[in-house]
Amino acid sequence: MKISILGTATTKFGELWNVSPRALAKEAMLNALNASDLKPSQIDALFVGNMLSEILGNQANLGSLLVEELGVQVPAFRIEGACASGGLALHNAINSLIANQYKTVLVLGIEKMTDHGQEEIATALMAAGSDEERLAGATFPGVYALMAQAYMQKYKVTEEDLAAVSVKNHYHGSFNPKAQFQSPITVSDVMKSSKIADPLKLLDCSPISDGAAAVIISSGDSGVRKIKKPVYIIASEVATDTLSLHDRKSFTSLSSVVQAADKAYKKAGLKPRDIDVAEIHDCFSISEAIATEDLGFSKIGEGAKDIKKGKRTLFKGDIICNPSGGLKACGHPVGATGIKQIVEIVEQLRGEAGRRQAEGAKIGLTHNVGGSGAVAVIHILQR
Amino acid sequence: MTSSPVKLWRRQKDVASLIGEKGKILLWTIIRAPAKSFVDQAPYPVVIAKMQNGENMIGQLVDWQKEDLKVGREVICVLRRLHTEEKEGVIYYNIKFKPL
Repeated sequence: MKISILGTATTKFGELWNVSPRALAKEAMLNALNASDLKPSQIDALFVGNMLSEILGNQANLGSLLVEELGVQVPAFRIEGACASGGLALHNAINSLIANQYKTVLVLGIEKMTDHGQEEIATALMAAGSDEERLAGATFPGVYALMAQAYMQKYKVTEEDLAAVSVKNHYHGSFNPKAQFQSPITVSDVMKSSKIADPLKLLDCSPISDGAAAVIISSGDSGVRKIKKPVYIIASEVATDTLSLHDRKSFTSLSSVVQAADKAYKKAGLKPRDIDVAEIHDCFSISEAIATEDLGFSKIGEGAKDIKKGKRTLFKGDIICNPSGGLKACGHPVGATGIKQIVEIVEQLRGEAGRRQAEGAKIGLTHNVGGSGAVAVIHILQR
Repeated sequence: MTSSPVKLWRRQKDVASLIGEKGKILLWTIIRAPAKSFVDQAPYPVVIAKMQNGENMIGQLVDWQKEDLKVGREVICVLRRLHTEEKEGVIYYNIKFKPL
């Protein structure tokens, strides 16, 4: 499999009250086209990753809506898979290239969340859970809090250990001008922040965000001529699991991630230690701790401890995780996240990440998760 | 949360069959930033319990004290009003856990 990445773009992530979803999407799409030196008419299809548009804004049919913004009439698809919608859209776009249906396609991830109150967002996000979880009054922070309880009990990990994940990601975010939060925080800031779902506190949780990100991909080397620093997607894998957390055998590992990562490593002919830099779906601090174990970066039970030791931190770690600031500091506009992760890894592999450059990065991985692990999408990129 | 009367009616048999079932707390949390329809109940615990039939079940814990929030605490399924709906419409009852 050889899929080339042409231009990429993300908007600023944050509370963008003066920007409409249409304008946000248009900005990301046009900037990705410019970066690819392409006109809208040179795109064969559009894939849109989005979760909440019809729940929050009563707007479905996003494919047609957004090609209208581009002023073209190409085939367009909206893909939904909770917070993995972006990664799933890219996976489907790649499949369309492998099937030789299209040659060059635009993939957009977008979410506009801050127009709505916190309770409305908590309700809307629970669309990614199960009936049993909704009827129990659970929320996503609540479901991940249950995982955190299980993880802390099993591996003797403390709340301070988990707080180190947020501290690292805010430190990385401080080098990213597109990030929602660009100020460093301390473990004590995390510990003092208000409780959301015990043991998770506000600063263990990714924020409610607006943002869009876009990438243009093409099959083989077609179109790459214009790109000075080619980056290729060498694996794109998806796996699923039960919607409900309580129906699973393990509360301290996500089987969907393990399966998708295994398939991706095999497809790419790589081992976890070959990865230089990764964008991890740290919707909560506990998520990144578990992810680094499920991806094989850390031994089981040592993910949080390794993060605390600095093994995932820029300028000193071995496998750098979330140089963008991750979902925690860069922001988590849910449908956009999976594409933003790709944009970040492409910048890292091209050596264009500025002050947050992971030196000499050649191989990168993205880890995008929907629900409490009901769907996982793994991409591996190589320069 | 929608409370279509048909949807409620379809769930009734399942709900009735669970009343009185017992289990033990495996994991617990306290929800402090709830979804819209649960705002007036927050903060409230949500637990995963291991039931006597060996299955895991997730539910809200009611009538609780701080000392009930521990692994291994025995709980029983009770029928409770789920949440406060609008003034009109069907009242939604569901299974919740109570410390035993």
